[in-house]
Parts: sequence; C-alpha cells; structure tokens
Amino acid sequence: MFGAKIRIERTLLEKVKRYSKIAGYSSVEEFVTHALEKEVAKLEDAASEEEIKERLKGLGYIS
Amino acid sequence: MRTGFKVISLAFPTTVLMFLALGSLERGEQPPKKKVVILGIDGMDPQILKGFADQGVLPNFSKLMAKGDFKPLQTTMPPLSPVAWSTFITGQDPGGHAIFDFIHRDPKTIMPQFSMARTIPSDWTVTLGSWVIPLRGGRIESMRRGRAFWQLLEERDVPTMIYRIPSNFPPQSEGHALSGMGTPDILGTSGTFSFYSDHPPPGSEDMSGGQVNKVTVQDFKVSGQLTGPQNSFRTTGGNMTADFQVFLDPEEAVATLRVQDHEFILKEGEWSDWIRVDFEALPHVVGVSAIAKFYLQQVRPAFKLYVTPLQINPEDPAMPISVPGDWSAELQKELGYFYTQELPEETKAFSAGIFNGEEFWEQSQSVYQESRRALDYALRNFKEGLLFFYFSSVDQGSHMLWSYSDDKHPGFRRDGKLSKAIQTLYQEMDEALGRVMSSIDEQTTLIVMSDHGFNPFYWEVNLNSWLLEKGYVQLKDLGRRDGVTLFENVDWSRSQAYALGLNGLYVNLRGRESGGIVSRGAEYDRLLDRLEADLLAMRDPRNGNHPITLVVRTRRDLKGTNLDSAPDLIIGYNRGYRSSWKSPLGEFPREVFVDNRDPWSGDHSVDYRLVPGVLLSNRRISAEKPALYDLTVGVLSEFGVPKLSEMIGEDCLE
Repeated sequence: MFGAKIRIERTLLEKVKRYSKIAGYSSVEEFVTHALEKEVAKLEDAASEEEIKERLKGLGYIS
Repeated sequence: MRTGFKVISLAFPTTVLMFLALGSLERGEQPPKKKVVILGIDGMDPQILKGFADQGVLPNFSKLMAKGDFKPLQTTMPPLSPVAWSTFITGQDPGGHAIFDFIHRDPKTIMPQFSMARTIPSDWTVTLGSWVIPLRGGRIESMRRGRAFWQLLEERDVPTMIYRIPSNFPPQSEGHALSGMGTPDILGTSGTFSFYSDHPPPGSEDMSGGQVNKVTVQDFKVSGQLTGPQNSFRTTGGNMTADFQVFLDPEEAVATLRVQDHEFILKEGEWSDWIRVDFEALPHVVGVSAIAKFYLQQVRPAFKLYVTPLQINPEDPAMPISVPGDWSAELQKELGYFYTQELPEETKAFSAGIFNGEEFWEQSQSVYQESRRALDYALRNFKEGLLFFYFSSVDQGSHMLWSYSDDKHPGFRRDGKLSKAIQTLYQEMDEALGRVMSSIDEQTTLIVMSDHGFNPFYWEVNLNSWLLEKGYVQLKDLGRRDGVTLFENVDWSRSQAYALGLNGLYVNLRGRESGGIVSRGAEYDRLLDRLEADLLAMRDPRNGNHPITLVVRTRRDLKGTNLDSAPDLIIGYNRGYRSSWKSPLGEFPREVFVDNRDPWSGDHSVDYRLVPGVLLSNRRISAEKPALYDLTVGVLSEFGVPKLSEMIGEDCLE
C-alpha cells in the first residue's frame, strides 16, 4: 500500500492486529482504513454551524 | 381483550356480564369489536373552546360536552408539542421519554440538535472517482424513549391507525402509521421555502426558514433552480438541483411554468397543484423524489414566485414516513399528493414578510383541507381497534393569527376577516368532530384531546442576556453581541450556566460540558438554588411583572430516569412572556425584554399551569384533574390492557 506512514504505539498495534483477524479483515491496513473512515464520516456528519442553523431555522419558534 | 365488554361492565357484575354478552350472541357470531377514535387537535385551548361553545358556534362540541364530558387536560412542563405528545404516547413524563424541548444540545460542543430524531450515517461506503456509494445504508432513529401505547395494543392484535401524531418519526408501529411532527422536508430541515424574484426584499440573504433567489426577467422568461438535498454520493459535495422556467405573458398577469416534464399555467395569485420533482444523485442509479407547490405571487412590476418546502414524496419516500412502508404511497393513490413535512403551515414566509396574513390563511387552509380529506379516508377504512387522527391547524393558526383578535398585543393588526380566523379554525374542528360523531356507533369510545392550550405572546425574554447581566455567563468580548450565534462569544472558562431551546437552562457542568467549571454535588446544588431564586425574582422593569412563575429542577422534579439530555432547569414563563427569538440558539441581544411584533403572536411555551389542553369524551371523565399521562392509561384500559410499570398515570375514563 502506498501513502503516508502513521506511528502508533506497539501495544495498540498488537491489539489492532489481533482484532483485525477476529473481525475478518483481510489486512491490518483494511481494518485501520475502515476505522478511520468511520471516524471521519462521524465528524463530517457533525454538520457545520451554518448547516445546523439552517436545519433549525425552519422551526417556527426561533428566528 | 378487544370487545365491548368493558362498557357494559359499569352496570353489571362481571359474571353476569359474561353471561349476557355471550348469551346474546348467535352461534359463531363474533363479539362486537372494540373501537376507540381519538381526535388529536394540537393547541386547542379549553377556555377558548368554552367561549366559542357558549356563543353557540360549536354545535358538535356543545353536544359532546352535554352528552359526555369535558375537562381541562394537564399538559407537561414544558408544554411544547414534542414533549406533551411524547407523554401521551408513552404515559411517562419527560424524564421517562427523554424529549425535553424542540431543541437539545451536544454537551461536548454546545451545538443545538433536533430533539426528536437523528440520522445515523452509513458506515460502509466505497468510493468510485467522485462518487461515494454506500454499501450499507444509514438510518434515522427516533430519540423518544419508552413504548408507544398503541404498540401494547398491537401486541394483542388490536388494529391501529395512527395518523400524523407528533414525535413519531420514523413511525413506530406494527399497524398503520404516518409520521407527523419531527418529519423533515427533503433538505432535512423543519421546512425551507424558496422565493424567486427580480427584486428580492432587502436583507433577504439571511432569511429564517427560506432561501431567497434573485432571478432576472429576460424576454418575458425567468430561469431558476430548485435546490435539492446534498448529494452525498459525490465526494465533491454540493446540492442536487432541478431547473425550471417561467414564461410570462406579455400582457396578462399570467405565466406558464415548466418544471421537468410538467407544464402548467398560473394566474397571478394562484397556486399550482402538487408537482413532482425528481433529483438525480447518481446518474441513472439513485435519485431523490420530492413534491412542491408553486405560488405565482406577482408577475409585474416585480416578479415573485414562492415554492413550498420540498416535501418527501409520499409516493416514493426518501425517508421512512409510514408503516407499512408503502402505506404513504397507498394514501397518495387515494388522496393525491399531500404535505408530509411536519407542521406545513407556512409560518416562516409570513414571519419573513414574504406572505401577508391573507396568503398565510389561504395556504394554511389548503393544509387543513388535505387533513380533512384524509380524515374522511381514515373513517371510511376504520373498522375496529384504535384510530388516532391529528390536526395542526388550530395550533399553527393560534400562533400566527392571535394578534388579529387581541388589541392589547404589541403587534395588533386590524383585519375584519382574520380577526375571526381563530374562531373559524375552531368551527372547522367542530365540523370535523361532527363528521366523526356521525360515523361512529354508541359503543365506540370517542376522545377529543389536545396537547396544550394557548396564551398571548406579548413580550420576548432574552434569557441568555439576563444570565449575562446576572454574571452567570461571561463573554469573551462584551462589545461583540449582535449577530453572534451559537454561544460563539462565550467564555466557557468563566460561565456557570446557559439557556438553550425554548425552555431549557443548563449548568456548565464539569465532566459533562467539555468546558464545564461547576462541580457536581454541593456546588451544583447551590448554583441551582441561586438560579431558581433569581429567576423567580426576575421583574420586567417596564411593567413590574414577574416574567417567570415556575422553575422545574429536572433531576429533582421529574419521575423518569432518562435524564442524560435533560436541561438542569426548565423555565415556566408567565402569561404574555416567552423565550425570545434569539436566545434559544445562543445569542445575547442587548435588551432582556423586547415587545414581540412578529406575526407569530400566540404561544404556549410558558408555565404549564397556564395552558392546559382539552379532554372531551362520550365517556365520563372520572379523574378530577386528568393529565396527559392519565389519558394514556385510560385508552389502554378501554381495550382492557394494563399499563406498564413505567407509566405514571391512572385510568381517567369510566
């Protein structure tokens, strides 16, 4: 796999290796990529302030 | 049990009753099916109802009051629809069902959130170029806790039809249900209208609840775009759009509109029928369908075109709005297209000055007419079990038209027709009630209920500004107060409490709020003591009134245990007062008390004792002071179903 390297603690790496096998991932990279994608998606889903305001402004009670 | 036994058992001992009931049946004949019809009229007020009934203009309500029973119905604190209907649905107080306001917040970011539902994003996607393809879908989750009472009936094979009850999105049912309040438009908002003009009103760039688009009229033609939802299938983001064209008649105040495959003619001041609009997310693979109505407000001198918020198309819903999933399509086949968004009366366009009172009235009447047709459909198809049917017109009309009939209101408006509008809305409910009464038999239990009543909204209270004055909040820059929202300017390292939502007040609690400074235990308790005393002592210097008459401490006063998202205090405003327009989303205007001149001139987010709802029934109401949570138990009891242990009420019907 090409791309940047990321430094993580050895104990965490061991856990990641162990659980990636248990969870049925084909490689550690696939597991880490999926975990990061999930976290990024969560952050992206946390809408911007403007989006939140837009969503709420349809409510008659506030302006 | 789902028989008519309970009704007869008032007069006879059970053993005799069983003998009589069974003895009267022919061999193989089924016992009568139990039927309960509930008409849920949001915002119907007992004093206003009685006033009109006393004037003799509500013959069906008067008849029901005389033959059956009528009492005020205790609402919740706060008396807001999502909270109150959730209490009726679950038989629990807000501490049980976990809906405390229209708006909650994330304690880590202090960002406001809708209280009723949230979206869980898809966690498995694959990226193809600029397209993101979900392999496993996201979902929408109701935030209401506790079981809906009709689910207990369904477990016992009682058929149910739940039409647009609030706080039921996505709908939870094994019977038939259509979601109501809490259901977004296709943009995921509470309703965002679109307005197209070559002379947009000044300051319309940041219009609340609407998108204003400047267009040009060239050679008698206008081109515009409807803005659809964000295209989550594209990594580059952006919204899906649908083009439309308007061809103006050179002489007459008439135009031809072309929207995708639809072409239709509108006169100035005329509304279109529902028009289906399809947005393409992934070419030839995934699309989102919506419906909208077009209102040609003016052809010239200025061109003005209003488009309703884009509704989830019931024929092809992008979100789960009904159970069974295809019931909304079945309803569409029977009734035509209909509003699916929560509270579709166009209050925002009226508040923003895009609509005048007459235009609001006309649009809101079209919402009512759709509901009224749906009631006929529901009654035609109701054979046994439970039918709940909801109307929003009295609530929305009382919000927007109060000032036409109250000359003490700061925004009092004179208009011969609209001064009678609230009465007309009650008379329409009387007609609907008459339709229900004529379609049921003597054995059917009829209940008419509302979630809360109404009072005037004369004065705004900027509660966050008051907290600032009293030193509970500190700003980073005291000079920067105008137009700064969402607590952006708050110095959390020196702030003890903040107001958010219509009635919520939160402590900046260590370990809960990310910048929390108040410790749990004695410091928290002392702060609440001081806040409660200060809030109740607050006075409006302009008239000497106490703007706040009740402070509820959620962790002391509520019964349920789902208090994670609860405010620490719930504020009960006095008659005439309400949280301001700005404070609920974290603004700090310079004045604490402001006259309310918005068309939104009636309200109910006050001390719950001031705004009870109504309870009418053709059964006697046994409770002296029935509450919403008692009615839950009462309805279950009509079907012989015992209440759950977490339900806090008692049977209130004989």
